[in-house]
Amino acid sequence: MTEKITVIVNGHEVQVPQGATVMDACTKAEQEIPRFCYHERLSVAGNCRMCLVEVEGAPKPVASCHFPAADGMKVNTESETTKEARKGTMEFLLANHPLDCPICDQGGECDLQDIAVSYGSDRSRFNEMKRSVDDRDIGPLIKTVMTRCIHCTRCVRFATEVAGVEEFGATGRGENMEIGTYVERALESELAGNMIDLCPVGALTNKPYAYTARPWELQHTNGIDVMDACGSHISIDHRAGQVMRVTPRECNAINEEWIADTARFSWDGLATNRLTAPLVRKGKKLTETDWPTAFKAIKTALDKAKPQKIAGVLGNQQAAEDAFAFNAFMQHTLATANVDCRTDGSATDASQRALYTMGTPIEQLEQADAVLLIGCNPRLEAPMANLRLRKVVRNGSATVFNLGAPADLTYATTELGDNVQLLEALNDPKHKVFKALKKAENPVVIVGSGSLQRDDGAAIVNHAYKLAEAVDALRLDWNGFNIIQQHAGRVAALDMGVLPDKDGMSAADISSAAQQGQLDVLFVYGEGDMPPQQLTGAGLTVYIGTHRTTLAEQADVVLPAASYTEKTALWANAEGRVQESFKAVNPPLHAKEDWKIFRALSAEVAPADIGPLPFDSQAQLRELMAARHPAYAAIGQLVPATEAIKLSRASKLNSAPLQPTVQEFYRQNVITQHSAVMTECQKLANERTQPQQKAA
Amino acid sequence: MPTPILKPEDKVFKNLDGADDWSIKGYKKRGGYKGLKKILKTDPADIIDTLKKSALRGRGGAGFPTGLKWSFMPRPDGKRPNYLVCNADEGEPGTCKDRDILRFDPHTLVEGMIVGCHTLGAETGYIYVRGEYYDESSRLQQALDEAYEAGLLGKNIESTGVNVDVYLHLGAGAYICGEETALLESLEGKKGQPRLKPPFPAGYGLYGCPTTVNNVETIAQVPAILKNGLDWWTRWGRENNHGTKIFSISGAVNKPCNVEAPMSIPLKELIETYADGVIGGWDNLAAIIPGGSSTPMLNPEQAGEVLMDFDGLRELGTGLGTAAVVVMNKEVDVLAVMTRISGFYKHESCGQCTPCREGVGWVYRLMSRLAEGEGSKEELDQLFNLTKRIEGRTICAFADGAMWPVQGTLKHFRDEFERRLSA
Repeated sequence: MTEKITVIVNGHEVQVPQGATVMDACTKAEQEIPRFCYHERLSVAGNCRMCLVEVEGAPKPVASCHFPAADGMKVNTESETTKEARKGTMEFLLANHPLDCPICDQGGECDLQDIAVSYGSDRSRFNEMKRSVDDRDIGPLIKTVMTRCIHCTRCVRFATEVAGVEEFGATGRGENMEIGTYVERALESELAGNMIDLCPVGALTNKPYAYTARPWELQHTNGIDVMDACGSHISIDHRAGQVMRVTPRECNAINEEWIADTARFSWDGLATNRLTAPLVRKGKKLTETDWPTAFKAIKTALDKAKPQKIAGVLGNQQAAEDAFAFNAFMQHTLATANVDCRTDGSATDASQRALYTMGTPIEQLEQADAVLLIGCNPRLEAPMANLRLRKVVRNGSATVFNLGAPADLTYATTELGDNVQLLEALNDPKHKVFKALKKAENPVVIVGSGSLQRDDGAAIVNHAYKLAEAVDALRLDWNGFNIIQQHAGRVAALDMGVLPDKDGMSAADISSAAQQGQLDVLFVYGEGDMPPQQLTGAGLTVYIGTHRTTLAEQADVVLPAASYTEKTALWANAEGRVQESFKAVNPPLHAKEDWKIFRALSAEVAPADIGPLPFDSQAQLRELMAARHPAYAAIGQLVPATEAIKLSRASKLNSAPLQPTVQEFYRQNVITQHSAVMTECQKLANERTQPQQKAA
Repeated sequence: MPTPILKPEDKVFKNLDGADDWSIKGYKKRGGYKGLKKILKTDPADIIDTLKKSALRGRGGAGFPTGLKWSFMPRPDGKRPNYLVCNADEGEPGTCKDRDILRFDPHTLVEGMIVGCHTLGAETGYIYVRGEYYDESSRLQQALDEAYEAGLLGKNIESTGVNVDVYLHLGAGAYICGEETALLESLEGKKGQPRLKPPFPAGYGLYGCPTTVNNVETIAQVPAILKNGLDWWTRWGRENNHGTKIFSISGAVNKPCNVEAPMSIPLKELIETYADGVIGGWDNLAAIIPGGSSTPMLNPEQAGEVLMDFDGLRELGTGLGTAAVVVMNKEVDVLAVMTRISGFYKHESCGQCTPCREGVGWVYRLMSRLAEGEGSKEELDQLFNLTKRIEGRTICAFADGAMWPVQGTLKHFRDEFERRLSA
């Protein structure tokens, strides 16, 4: 326990720990200190000089953000000296800042505006020419108006420290100092959008959102991001039933206050090519119809079908309620065992949660001191987990070993090659990696879900688990065994048991049965990893989804469902944490919330002895879910897995090299694939990795 | 009683005029490196004690007691090395003393580095030379090479067990890199911008290790103090301002020069003895900048009485700075000169913190306008108010140095501004 010191702020004593800054003391004393450059999650720059306060005995005002508080120090945040210092700084900041607030997208949520009103003067004495600065092209996500820049360097520090791309910096000096990329090109970061939030003025703003809304017109709904499986907390900002933008919400357990660009900039995909009404195939064409007609078409086909000839596959991005309702509809109402969520063909063992979730909470990755990645690129598969790993590598407290395709993870890794058979050797106590993991206090083993798609996926898990056990990564006080899922819906689907039982067909079996004409009715719910042509050939294909994709086009009946912003739903992230996302806007036109579709359909098609699905409200539905899995009774909490792991018998490791599993980071799901912004980002990313093609 | 003119044997920089051989041969002939072995066998604590008693104060401008500064350095703990860094980024307008040391008497600095490293427990020293001093740095490098060849640098110097390596680093032309923490950043290969203090370099300096940064002249004077003794050193100058000092005299004088003279010499005597007086006579004097461009100017009346040392000038609201005396007589447009100096600071601000980045340019533009008679008398008050809003609000002392000359001009030449504004 650190020693406490007493600081007197405006005459009131406050206790702060030794090593706290003057600003900490002022915050403790509930005194607001205006600031621009200071940010809790970035290094201290002390350059904006807005946080100057008077400290008794100091010859001049001190920058409270970095000045260490001392025992007995007397701070005055209301004195004339302090006020005058703030006024001075404000005057200089505004001297060259353009007065273009009416056309600035930052207007209404601008630190400079707010602080100027509170601490500045009401008139300007600046009679010289204002400076103007050329704008920079830093890609399709961030719009720059560099004349507005106040050189706080938050963006530079974020890029360098957090995002790990040293592409942003200040060139020139004095009043000619400019923030930019030096070479004009798009930032190579999957987190670039966070600079928009960090920028205290309108220098860096959201390019796709430009000139579309004002912050005071927006309503904010708390959501959970579903572009990856991290479950980042987001705010869905909407106006008049339309999502206008997505911003992060603070959540120390997961995303701190960052989100990936896929989460922030994919909202335009929500309004593109949506399914707005049920469709029924008439000849070659899908024609719009109403719900009863669509249901009748399904009922007609089901009435003629035997349960063994009915099957369903679940996509990657379905909420827990929806997965549960779909599963209940298939297994209960239609009494078929042919249902599967593993369209990637992975051999995920869903019998125990530890075999498909992260054992280490994302936040606790910061306590890791040796990490082994197996077929996992956390930067693309779980950006928020990667940030934590970067933190520990950067502060020198952890080593990361990478067994898999070499990748730039923004921090130094020890590459072990891509031959997974090395896992056998790693289990040898004499191996240097084994020694490093064993020596570590909190070792971590991370298996990418992509490697489970391999034939030897189960063997990889077995070896990784044994290794974790051998190096003491599995203790009562520390769980260092992780399997990271890539898709937002997968953990919930596995929790809800969207899997074939012994007699049922797996996704791969369903695919081949369909193609061989052995299926009467195939339900395709959402977009998975299977190519569309592998889901053709059933007597009747029903597609339930949000967008008019190839899968929808080849179906016979199409039912329009709600996207993640259009329903209140539970999502389980890669850690297994169940979180609630709230409905921000209505589903488009005739589209319905997914679980309601299955509930309604069950009433239509269920045999009389079975009856409709046994829930009439979301509350009832959630009760059933909670009964099925305890995690769904504890929303927002992490329910640690307690059961002992029983490993299934597995095949041998084979010599095929581990491949990167994320090919197109910006186009991993149906929403991002429909987003023009994400498509542009992917195009730029492809050009970077394949420059020779561009030249050709 | 006139201040004595230093005899050759009393000078620390015996070849400051470059008349003699600069090389190790010449330096040894002048008594250099004699007694070095004895110093290297002396306990560092005793050396620091002597320096404290000598009242040697930093020659780079701030005048901080060197012995005290050196006493802040922790003894090496075996985990982090200690460093001595020599600040040869001489950029203060009007100052050219270090340049003559580097090119005419470089071994005084080399010997100082050896003694300094020994005293501070550093095995590595860096000399950061301003980029424009290319020829001078070549000369210094030759001197370092000579010292290595003579076994005065490297391992086990003079069989005393002391190891010292000295590296020369050339800057890239930024005034701000003369600020010690900006210098360290630049030396580390980063953009030369001052660091936040605390922590101070003695605790967290170059590469995060304990570091002392000193001016060329300061480091070069240390061996002389140790060899010649405190009696010799304290013979010169007043209490707390002892020793000899190089004065760079330029501007409206008959014979601009660099000269080593005793501290606390009256300014008038300094100019008349060594620079052949003001052009047009003392009565033709308009103003004098006593210690480089960032020190506020003196009016003729003050200049006639002031003693050239740290305390004497501080009493008059200015400072000894680098002891670069810039003389302006009545033929000089003082406002134009001071505006130009303000322009220099606008050009050299690093741009890191707000008041300096935005304010120094504003002050320069406003002052340019007012010096040309455009504007109002109220704007004179505004100009002064602006300088006060910049001074003392920044990370480093650059902004203070940029504002003092403006404040000095307003203090002594406000009537000239007003005359031009009402003309």
